[in-house]
Amino acid sequence: MRLGIVRGHVTLTPAVPQLLGLTLVVLEPVTMVNLRAKNGLGGGKSLVAVDALGAAKGQMVAFTEGAEAANPFWPKKVPVDAYCTLIVDSITTENS
Amino acid sequence: MFLARIDGTVVPASKHATLDGCRFLVAQRLEADGSTGTEPLVLVDLLGASFGSTVLVSTDGDIARQRYGNTTPARMVVVGIVDQMHAPRQRAGRTA
Repeated sequence: MRLGIVRGHVTLTPAVPQLLGLTLVVLEPVTMVNLRAKNGLGGGKSLVAVDALGAAKGQMVAFTEGAEAANPFWPKKVPVDAYCTLIVDSITTENS
Repeated sequence: MFLARIDGTVVPASKHATLDGCRFLVAQRLEADGSTGTEPLVLVDLLGASFGSTVLVSTDGDIARQRYGNTTPARMVVVGIVDQMHAPRQRAGRTA
């Protein structure tokens, strides 16, 4: 999983039926430099992920990429390759 | 699979229901020359890795699916803690 900051939400009209009803968020991945600096910046290349946890704008989440991102919908097959697995409350690193 | 150094722990505010009770760690991927990746990774830890340890990470979700069920989005799992490694110009191992 990588870490990302929620920058916004996406709605689709129309969309393939498998995506109807899902919440999509725009994530900005966080680099190690920005994570250590705790400056609220991301720095990575943005992507869209499915969010079932209700993450708000500005919150940090950890997201799974790849085929495993579609596992929560098993046995349904959905065209999803990024999924918010957890919302971060806090991160403890060596220098904090 | 790849090697990563544990940099900290993640306290989740909320997470996917299949991952209740899991331990989440922040890690940095290690390259052959000893440098680290630019983006932090969040790993699911089954073994109890500590700050500064070098761990072997599997990016296959199978081990997570066996443990947490078919619907788990977990993918990067700590599958071993490095005790000793022999590589040119580099030493790795448990420092904590």
